[in-house]
Amino acid sequence: MNGELRLAVFICGDGRHGKRCGGSAIVASPRGMEAGVIAVAFDELKVSMSLAEPAAFPVAEKVLLAAVIVASLGVFAWRLSPIARNVLRSKKDTDFSLRPVGARVWKFFWEVLCQAKVIEQRPLPGLAHAFVFWGFLAFALVTLNHIAVGFGHGFLQYAGWFGTFYVMFAAVWALLVAVSIAGLFIRRFVVRPRWLGAEVSVESGVIAGLIFLLMATYLAALFVDDGGGAALGLWWVHTLVLLVFLPIIPGTKHLHLVLSPLTVFLKRPEFSQLPKLEGDDDFGLVAGKDLTQLIALQAYSCVECGRCTEHCPASTTGKVLNPKEIVLGVRSYLNTEGPGSEVALLDGAQPALSMEAAFECTTCGACEFQCPVGVQHLPVLIGLRRGAVNTGAWEDKYGTKLFLALEKQGNSLGMSSTERDKFIAKQEFPIFDGSQEYCLWLGCMGSYDPKGREIVSDFARVMRALGTQFGVLKKEKCTGDPARRLGNDLLFGDLAEQGLKAFAMAGVKKIVTICPHCVRTMATDWLEYGVAPEIEHHSEFMARHAHLLPQQKGESIVYHDPCYLGRYQDVYDEPRAVVATAGELVEAERHRERSFCCGAGGGLAFLGEESGERVSHVRAKELIATGAQTIGTACPFCNSMFRDALGAVGGEAPPQLLDIAQLAARGLAMQTNDRDGKPGEN
Amino acid sequence: MSSNVLVVLETKGAGWHRMSFEALAAAQKLSNELGMSCSAVVLGEGAAIAPLAAELATKKLNGVWAVGDSLLAEYTADGWVAALQQLIVETKPKFVVLPHTYQVRDFAPALATRMGEVLIGDVTAIEVADAQSGPFFVRQWMQGKLNAEYRHRSEGGVCFLSVQAGSFRADAVAPGSAEVKTFAPKLDAAKIRTKPGEPFREAAQTVDLSTAAVIVSVGRGIGEQDNLKLVEDLASALGAELAASRPICDAGWLPMERQVGSSGQTVAPKLYLAVGISGAIQHLVGMKGAKTVVAINKDADAPIFEVADIGVVGDLFEVVPAITKAIRG
Amino acid sequence: MKIVVAVKQVPERDAVVRVAADGRSVDESDLAWTMNEPDAYALEEALQLKERAGDGEVVVLCAGPERVQSTLREALAKGADRAVHVVTPEDGDNALMCRDTLDVARLLADAVKGESPDLVLTGLQSDDLGAGQTGVVMAELLGVPHATLVLHVELAGAGIKVKRELEDGWMQHVEMPLPALLTIQSGGNRLRYATLMGIKKARQKEMREAPAAAAAKRVDEVLKVSPPTRVKQTEMLTGSADEIAAKLVEKLRFEVKVL
Repeated sequence: MNGELRLAVFICGDGRHGKRCGGSAIVASPRGMEAGVIAVAFDELKVSMSLAEPAAFPVAEKVLLAAVIVASLGVFAWRLSPIARNVLRSKKDTDFSLRPVGARVWKFFWEVLCQAKVIEQRPLPGLAHAFVFWGFLAFALVTLNHIAVGFGHGFLQYAGWFGTFYVMFAAVWALLVAVSIAGLFIRRFVVRPRWLGAEVSVESGVIAGLIFLLMATYLAALFVDDGGGAALGLWWVHTLVLLVFLPIIPGTKHLHLVLSPLTVFLKRPEFSQLPKLEGDDDFGLVAGKDLTQLIALQAYSCVECGRCTEHCPASTTGKVLNPKEIVLGVRSYLNTEGPGSEVALLDGAQPALSMEAAFECTTCGACEFQCPVGVQHLPVLIGLRRGAVNTGAWEDKYGTKLFLALEKQGNSLGMSSTERDKFIAKQEFPIFDGSQEYCLWLGCMGSYDPKGREIVSDFARVMRALGTQFGVLKKEKCTGDPARRLGNDLLFGDLAEQGLKAFAMAGVKKIVTICPHCVRTMATDWLEYGVAPEIEHHSEFMARHAHLLPQQKGESIVYHDPCYLGRYQDVYDEPRAVVATAGELVEAERHRERSFCCGAGGGLAFLGEESGERVSHVRAKELIATGAQTIGTACPFCNSMFRDALGAVGGEAPPQLLDIAQLAARGLAMQTNDRDGKPGEN
Repeated sequence: MSSNVLVVLETKGAGWHRMSFEALAAAQKLSNELGMSCSAVVLGEGAAIAPLAAELATKKLNGVWAVGDSLLAEYTADGWVAALQQLIVETKPKFVVLPHTYQVRDFAPALATRMGEVLIGDVTAIEVADAQSGPFFVRQWMQGKLNAEYRHRSEGGVCFLSVQAGSFRADAVAPGSAEVKTFAPKLDAAKIRTKPGEPFREAAQTVDLSTAAVIVSVGRGIGEQDNLKLVEDLASALGAELAASRPICDAGWLPMERQVGSSGQTVAPKLYLAVGISGAIQHLVGMKGAKTVVAINKDADAPIFEVADIGVVGDLFEVVPAITKAIRG
Repeated sequence: MKIVVAVKQVPERDAVVRVAADGRSVDESDLAWTMNEPDAYALEEALQLKERAGDGEVVVLCAGPERVQSTLREALAKGADRAVHVVTPEDGDNALMCRDTLDVARLLADAVKGESPDLVLTGLQSDDLGAGQTGVVMAELLGVPHATLVLHVELAGAGIKVKRELEDGWMQHVEMPLPALLTIQSGGNRLRYATLMGIKKARQKEMREAPAAAAAKRVDEVLKVSPPTRVKQTEMLTGSADEIAAKLVEKLRFEVKVL
C-alpha cells in the first residue's frame, strides 16, 4: 500500500455537480475500488495516508499547550466538583449491592457499548447517536496521540500497519460522526420534536458545532502536508475545540457522556424497585435529605431526550405530570437546596415537583423502560408519593377513601367480604385445603367486579376442563398493590404481612391469578416482608396448556399488553399464544414493550376523574383503529377501563372485549357443544 | 289521672312529627295487650299545643296531657327532661313510649338516666308473651345482622322505650275520646343550658347525594336525554334526589356532581332505585352503602341484580311511569 | 382546650357475627375489630378543633379488654396526644358487653372526671349495639350540657357553638357553655388515614390503664339474640307494568319505609 486512496464523499451542495443531497453516507475504499453511485466528489483527490502533523513545537508552545490543558481540566474539575459533591453527599443507598455483577456487566455491554436501547426505541436518531458514541470511542486513541504529538511524543506510527489502519479507521468514524451530528442538529433545530422541550437549547447547538469541528479538523488533516502551516493550524483548532468542549460538559446535559455509563452500570437491577424504608425517620422522599446517591446520579445523568415524556400516558393526555421534568426538578433541587436539605421536595421551590404531578402517574413504567441513560423514574415518583402519604401530607378525598376501604374492608373496592363469600358459593369454587395443586387467587376485581368475576369464572372453567385441581382461599385481602403504588407503606406492610400469613396458614405452594398487579405485588413487592409461594399469571398457565385448547377460527383479536404483565414481568408471548388459539392475532400500533397504559395503574383507577383526555379513551381508540373484531385483555383493570372507554368512544358497533381466559373458555364451550351435538353458543 | 303507659308525642312546626302516631299506635298496642291504661303527652308553649291536644282527645286514650310552658316554646333537652321527669313522677307510668326521632335521641337517654333507668331504644317490635313476665322488645344489633330481645327488669321502675320509624303503622291508631288535662311544670330558665338557633337548610351549592335518604339513579338504559323526564318525575314523586351513572354525566345530560360511583359520589340512602343501570363496579362501589336497592333493567343478566333487593326485569319506559303514577296514587 | 374523645372498639362492619353459646350475646372469637365509625369522626373533629386552636390536648378514652389497645393506638397514630384504657375483663359479668348502657357510661364518666376536660366528644352511636345513648347518658352523669348529631364545633366566647343535624336535611346551631359533651354525627369531616409517621410517633405516647369499677345490676336484660329470619336476596317483581308498580309501592311503603 503506498498510501493512496480514494475517498468518495457525499457532501451537500457540491459545486461541481450542482446537486443537492441529503448528506449522510460516506464510503472509504482502497485504491482501485470504485465508490458507490452516489459518490460525487473528490474521486481524483490524492491524500496522504498519514495524518498531517505540525512540526515539533518550540518549548514556549509546549508550555502554552500545557497551560491550556491545565486550564481546561481545571475548569472541567471545578464545574464537575459540585455535582460530584452533591451525588456523594446524598444519602447512601443502604440496599445497594453490586450483585448480580454479571447482569450489570451485560446491561452495560448491551445498553452502553451496543447502544441497543437507544437504537431500539428511536431507530434513526438512535443510530446517529450510536455513531457519535462509537466514533468517540474510536477517537480516544487518536485524541491521546494528538495531545502527545504536541509534546513531541506521538505514538501512532503512520509508517506501520496499525497506525495506517487506525488513521483511516478513525477517518471513517470521523465522517460517520460528522454526518450523524449534523443530522441530529437538523433534527433538534429544524424538525424539533416536542419531546425535546419547547425551548431550543443553544448549548446543544454549540456542542454539536464543536463535535463537527473536531471531526472536520481531523479529516482536513488528511489533506494537508505534514509539518506545514495548515497542519499546525488544524492541530491547534482541533486541540482548542477539545479543550473548550471538556469544560462545557459538566453542568449541561452532556454530562451524560461522563455519567451515564456509570449510571447504567449502577442502576437498581429490578424494574420499579422500591427501596425499603430504613429507620424511624425514613418515610420516602420528603426532602433533599431523602434523595439517595443513585437518585442524584441518575438526575445528573438525564440527557433530556424526552423519551420518558413521549411515552408517558399522563404527559400525552394533558396532565401536569412530565417525567422528564420530575427528573430535572430533582436535579434542580439538588443544585439549589443541596442534598441533606430539609426543604420539602413536593410543592416547594421546584414547580415541576408538584403533588398533583406525582399523583397523576399510572406507574405504567414506560418512562423507566425507555430511558437510555439508566434513570429509574418509578422509585422517584413513588418515593415522592411515599413521602407525601406516609407523613399525611397528601390529602385527597378518593385516596383517603381507598385507604380506609383497604384498612376496614381489606379490598380496594370497599365491598363487604360477604359479597365474595356469596360469589364463591354461587360458582362452587372449592376452598383451598392443601390437597389441590393451585390456589386460585381472585383479587379485588375477581372477587367483587362483575366483569372480573366473569373472567375468574371462565378461567376456573378452563382449569376444570384441563383437569387442574385448584381451590380458593376462604378469605382474601388485597395484596396492597394500590397502597404500594400510592406510597402508603403502613397499609401495604399490613396487607403484605396478612397475605403472607394467609398463604402460610393454608399451606399454599402455587398460586395462579388473573391479575398481573397481584402477581407483581406478591412476587416482588412482598419480598420486604417474606417470600410468597410461587405465583403465575393465568396467561402463563394457559400458554403452557395452549396445545390442549381448541383452535378457534376466523376472528381477528387485538391483544393489549398490560403494563404490569409486560414491562413489569416481561410476559409478552404467553398471552399471545392464548390469543392465537382463539383467532387471528393483530397488533396495535404500540405493543409489547411500548404498549400504552389503560390508565388504571398506580392506584389511579380509584382516584376520581382525570384532567385532560382520558388515557383509557386514547388507548381504546388505538385498539379500535386496528379494525380487530375483539380486544383481548389480560388484566381485569385494563378490561374495566376499556369497558367504560368503549361505551364512550366505541361508536355504534364497538369491538367485543374479552379477557384471554374468556377467549379460551369460549373455545372449550364450543368444543363441548360440538361434541354434544348442540349448536355453538356465544 | 294515672296511666300505666305514657306516650310522648312530638310536634313539628304547628303539626305533628310523622312518627308521633306510630308511637301512639305502639303505645295502644302495648296497653291493649297488657290491659293497661294509656295516656299521651304533648309538650310546648301552652297556646301552641292546645289544638294538638284537642286532636289527641279524639283518639282511644285514657287521658291527654298538655304540658305547656313558655320555656318549652322551643326544644331544649334540659327543658324536656325537667318537664317530663315532673310529669312522670306525678303520674307514675310503668311504660314511657317515644318515637325514635332525632329529638328523642337527644333527651330521652338523659331523662332515663335521671330516673336511674335505661332507655330501650329503636325498638322494631313489641311482644307480650304473657302478662306475668311482662313484654319484651326487639331491637337490632350489628346493623341489623342480629335481633336482640330486651326486657326491663327494675322492679317498680319506669320502662322507657322508643320505637323505630315505620315499625308501627300510624293508620292503626284507634279512635276514641279522652280528656285533656294541662300540666304546668316548674321550669327554671337558668337551668336550660343550651341556646338553640333557628333551623336552617344549607345553601345548596353543590348536590350532596351522600346525605340523601332516597335516590333515583339513572343509567345508559335511558337512551336519550329527552327521556330523563321520566326519572325526574319518579324522583319528585318519591321526594328523591336524582343521580346517575358515569355515562350519563359524561354525556352532559346531568351535571357531574350527580354522578354516583368511584369517580363520583358515595351514597348511603335508605332506598336506591337504579333505573337502566347495568351495574359496573365503578358504579356499585359508590352505592354499596344503600340499605335497599331496587333495580329496573331490561337485561336479566345485568350485574345490578346481584346487589339489588328488589328487581324488575322490564322496559323502564313502561314500568317507571307506572310506578310514578302508583306513588302519586 | 382539653378534649376527651370516648371511642368504642366494634366488630368490623362486614364481620360475620355469630350468636354465642349462651344465646344472649355475640360470639367474640374470630372477630376482627375496628374503631366505631362515628367515634372516628368524633376523633377527627377533636383533632381538627385542636389544630384550628393551635394548641390543646386530645385524650382518647376506651373501655374494654386488652384488644382495645389497638384502637387506642390507631387514635394516637392519627394524632391524639394520650390514651386512657379502662380495663374490663374479656368475659363474665364485668365484661363490657354484659353491662347496660348506664353502667358503660358510668365507667367512661368516671374516667373523664379524672381528666376534667373542657369538652367531651363521642360518636353518635355504636355500629354494634347501636343504642346511641352512651354520650347523652355520660353528659347527664357528668352534669354538663350536651348536643347530639353534631357535625361541626366552633368556639364562641367562653362556650361553643355547634352545628347539629335535624331531620330531613335541616340544620341548627346550638350554643352552650363549657364544659360540655357532644355526640358527633358521621360524615361531617373527612377522616384521615393512619400514616407510617403517625404510627411511629404513637409509640412514644402515653397509654394509661385505669381499673374499671365492678358492674352494677342491669336495668334491662337481653333475653335472646338471633339472626333475623329474612335473608337478603333479590326479589324479582313480575307482572304487567301496573302490577309491578303496585307491588313495588307496597314494599316501599311498608318494608323500605320511605313513603
